Amino acid sequence: MPESSNRANRRQCTSQLTRQGNFGILVLCAWAPVAPAEQGTTGDEQEAVMANDMEQLYAQRLERYTAAMRNEKPDRIPIRPFVAEFTAKYAGYTAQQVTQDYRMAFAAARKCAADFDWDAVVGNMVYGWSGLTQAIGMKYYAVPGVDLPPDTGFQYIEPPEDEAWMREDEYDLLIEDPTGYLFNVWLPRVSADVVEPGQAATLRNNMSFLKGGMAMLDYFNGFGAQAAQLRGESGTVSAISGILKAPLDIIADKLRGYRGMCMDMFRRPDKLQAACEAMMPHLLAVAAGGADPERNVPVGLWLHRGCTPFLSPAQFERFFWPTLKQIIEGLWEQGIQTLFYAEGEWNGNLKYIAELPERSIIYHVDRGDIFEVHKAVGHKFCLSGGIPNELLAFGTPDDIRAYCKKVIDGVAGDGGYIMDASAIMQDDTDTENLKAMTEFTREYGVY
Amino acid sequence: MSEKTKPDRPPGVCVPWEEKQAELGKMTGDDELVKRVWEEVDGFGYMYIWQCLLSF
Repeated sequence: MPESSNRANRRQCTSQLTRQGNFGILVLCAWAPVAPAEQGTTGDEQEAVMANDMEQLYAQRLERYTAAMRNEKPDRIPIRPFVAEFTAKYAGYTAQQVTQDYRMAFAAARKCAADFDWDAVVGNMVYGWSGLTQAIGMKYYAVPGVDLPPDTGFQYIEPPEDEAWMREDEYDLLIEDPTGYLFNVWLPRVSADVVEPGQAATLRNNMSFLKGGMAMLDYFNGFGAQAAQLRGESGTVSAISGILKAPLDIIADKLRGYRGMCMDMFRRPDKLQAACEAMMPHLLAVAAGGADPERNVPVGLWLHRGCTPFLSPAQFERFFWPTLKQIIEGLWEQGIQTLFYAEGEWNGNLKYIAELPERSIIYHVDRGDIFEVHKAVGHKFCLSGGIPNELLAFGTPDDIRAYCKKVIDGVAGDGGYIMDASAIMQDDTDTENLKAMTEFTREYGVY
Repeated sequence: MSEKTKPDRPPGVCVPWEEKQAELGKMTGDDELVKRVWEEVDGFGYMYIWQCLLSF
């Protein structure tokens, strides 16, 4: 591809920072192969030429990426890998470094974006920043270099069922006032520093809010600068903007725990359903608040427990799907696409996915059979992913090229496909295999 | 945060304007300006707690 041949000529250029409302972060970046310096031009003129070229390449890549996401046929298949701890390994950082210092995580993501010539990336797919979570006093993180070996990715710690962050008899409080519940009950419980209302204020309590708020602002503003650097240095489009979780997922992840949520489906199903309904408008508002104001890139929806075998079909129908569907439809009514990251095996739920409005989602395939997915919903939605992580970790470049060919031949003929691994890539992804995935797609995936 | 029997905190709100307005009493100038800025900054608090839940 033309841009890869110009890799050595890239230069940093001026770029435009795009931000959005509240704490929303936008991640639009540019890529531009920079033309060799022309004789007789000044340094400033060369910079201007390079900036212009970079903007043109950025525009080309954004067009490619958005065309695919709208299930259209771009000039070639866009490459948008979700790379997390892999970026640290490739760029020479430890997991501790990219978790503890988000600037290192940003630098690692930029290096990968530039070296691999990808069309779009997430500014920091590791995402968790322990500087922020430590400022707040969050208890549920196991941090590399503190609680874990420095080369192990951070982990969430789910407490025992009887010590869940939300107790079984607190549903009414959550349902009546979700925001108040989070401030008054949940935060004091998950933070080592925040005290419950009515308790004596402490320095650590006060500092949790002050430092937490300032750190969050710093981090999200950092994403804006990261977007500008990605755009200016390598012309890379930032892949997503904003965050969404399914109501039942967030209840399982951060409130009742998976085991508690499972018991609640039997012991107090009406309360659980009502809690999902109470959370729904808030999750919609947060997702919309962080969405791309230009409506180019989607909101990221990270799905956890909706797949087989966590929920039975009946449980999925009652607890998981109705509220999530309404949120996705609500976003789409505002012109916002959702990156539906279907982690795990989701093919049993394809009949529900097919109910969503055409083009409202980009359906990311993890463990499901991508060819079945294409048959079932490929006419309605762009697909992404489907290259097995175990193959990327333990296969050979020839294996990767063969699998990529199979996927491209099977699902990408009419456009509407974005190349990526099945799941977010951590440090077990082999560098040569990822190069093979990238280069093969760039060469073979031309329409 | 003052508590009510049945709080009314729709999406985007931590401390509703009506609650703050009652504290401020009759204003001498542009109360719509005060309301708008109150709600904008209150929204930061809302985003803080929901981002804590969703993102971190």
